[in-house]
Amino acid sequence: MSTPGSDGQASISGTIPDRDPSWLGRVSARFGRKVLTGLIGLTVVFLIGPVLITFVASFFQNWTGIVPSGGLTLRNWELALGIAESQGAQRGLGGFWTFVAPDVLYVLELPEVPRLTFRFPFDVTIQTPIPVALGFSILLALFGVFVNLIAGVPIAYAVTRYEFTGRRLLNTFAILPIVPGIILGIAFLKTYPNLPSTLALVLGYSLLKIPYMVLAVQSSFESMDLRRIEESARSLGASWPTTFLRVIIPEAKQGIISGSIICWTLAAAEFNFSYIIYSRGPRPFSLFLFENISNNPFLRAAAAISIYFLIVATVTTLLNRLGENGFSIGGTQ
Amino acid sequence: MATLNNPSLFDRLRQTRLGQLAFPETEDERETRRIAALSLPFFALALFGAFIPLLTMFRLSVAEEFLRQISGWTLAPYRTLFASIAAFLPGIGTELSRWISASGEPVNPVYGRTIWNSLWFGAVTTVTSVGLGIAIAHGLEKYDLPRQDLLVTLISFPISLPGIVAAFMMIVLFGQTGLLTNFVAVLTGADPVTLQLTGQPSGTTLAILGLFFGYLYSMIPRATLLLRGTYAEVNTDAEEAARALGATPLQTFWYVTLPQIQPGIVGALILTFRTALAIFGTVLVLKSLSVVTFRFDQLVQVGYELNIASALATLFFFFTLAFTFAGLRFTSAEVGR
Repeated sequence: MSTPGSDGQASISGTIPDRDPSWLGRVSARFGRKVLTGLIGLTVVFLIGPVLITFVASFFQNWTGIVPSGGLTLRNWELALGIAESQGAQRGLGGFWTFVAPDVLYVLELPEVPRLTFRFPFDVTIQTPIPVALGFSILLALFGVFVNLIAGVPIAYAVTRYEFTGRRLLNTFAILPIVPGIILGIAFLKTYPNLPSTLALVLGYSLLKIPYMVLAVQSSFESMDLRRIEESARSLGASWPTTFLRVIIPEAKQGIISGSIICWTLAAAEFNFSYIIYSRGPRPFSLFLFENISNNPFLRAAAAISIYFLIVATVTTLLNRLGENGFSIGGTQ
Repeated sequence: MATLNNPSLFDRLRQTRLGQLAFPETEDERETRRIAALSLPFFALALFGAFIPLLTMFRLSVAEEFLRQISGWTLAPYRTLFASIAAFLPGIGTELSRWISASGEPVNPVYGRTIWNSLWFGAVTTVTSVGLGIAIAHGLEKYDLPRQDLLVTLISFPISLPGIVAAFMMIVLFGQTGLLTNFVAVLTGADPVTLQLTGQPSGTTLAILGLFFGYLYSMIPRATLLLRGTYAEVNTDAEEAARALGATPLQTFWYVTLPQIQPGIVGALILTFRTALAIFGTVLVLKSLSVVTFRFDQLVQVGYELNIASALATLFFFFTLAFTFAGLRFTSAEVGR
């Protein structure tokens, strides 16, 4: 911002480089490329290696020494998924989910007004094959994505398409995660004490993950000639809301879908905020992972984490199909 | 409606800014209405998701009573906090803290220590991961590496992992049964217990080294992707010219590329440092160093000292906010666009 055009100047005004390359220059010319390539390889191994090891190890009976041993088994996975019950240990993913419609949906309490109780009029009980913690988090994250779509897509369009006072500031607020999860958790504790954990979690997830949605959608919008598209549609007789909903949004579907996928995955595994906020009700998936990591035998924790790896691997494949490079769009957080 | 029957009142209503927003006449005014309508859902989310909770938190941090109802005003939590921070400072510490906590608030230098830990550890991990990020982004951009897209996908994979999983990855590599621990143990003949980087007592060199790798696991992908965005905007003509004129690759990098990516590096340092300060799950699992986020856990889950936690969170929030905006002001970094 301060000196946008002077970058070229800076390179000229420096000291004049030596004509003869120094020994450092010669060494770097000779080995630089190899060293950097090796470094990239090493980093990828450091980042991905433990993921693969965890996944493979989760199928073994025990692990002492360098490599896992003791033959293949599905026991860890069964325990983690809650298919097999183990004595004394807590149930894996909390068993399978029976959906029971709540009697009382929400009690609205306002001063000076008689309290309003929203009730669910039917008795519904559905058996599902979805593990409780996972299903619960999947649903919460879906609600979060829904809020992100409603709030994120319009704001991304506003800051990309229009010029107005405060546009830069608004953009910064929309794409920077201003509040860290743990701070937001502490702030939520006393603000919404009567709000069920579920609603507080959805609200928090929406706020924490919206930068990813805005970034993803914005990158789609930036590749479109928004002014031309909008003006053509308007001149053909479409009203502005019609133009936005039926021309602009379908055109940006790549960004919208990738943004939704990324927001969903990150919300499903959000830990810092959930850890502070969670009080009762079904446990979010990340807390299930945490209990596994801190309490359970190593290989069973490995199986539990591998469940999440499978989800992320699926999601990454989907994202690459859409033309993204995995989670790279979320890199600005 | 009554206002519609009374044109003069309606006209007057329309003269106000709000009236113009609701009933625009010119195309300019209609555009303003569109911008307002597009921003409304975001503002609603920001209001209920951030502003109200944060305001409540600020209020709580200066409240006398908070367990049942937030009421009363006091600066005691801040005095405790600042006195405790002052007590940690060497030399003038004791005197300064006595001066701040004039009315006898409890002083606990642990706050100073945790803040100091957060800052130095965050700085060390930030510089390391941005340094690595520059090298990786440089390689990805300049060299014709095979399966480039796959490499980017793999490097960005940890972004999807919460901190607790990053901690588990460190246990897999460096724990007592960890792969690398046992590999080194077999090579050197040492006992894995003396080599493991996780599960060591908090604050020891080995434990901190384990946490260092855990932080890097989360931070390298972010730093790399930030710098990749910067590298995409580098003017390659100037680099080619420098090479053609006989500059070595190192000179080209130092005199041509580096000045161009400098704002991007500053931006990456700021954002990666923010990430480092906010890491919580990794510390919670590894328990290697008492940083600020870890202190929050103790305050909320163990002591339920919500007022101190809120005061600390308020300081934390304003520090990162001021630091980010001050930083973005001095750079033309991507994120501030």
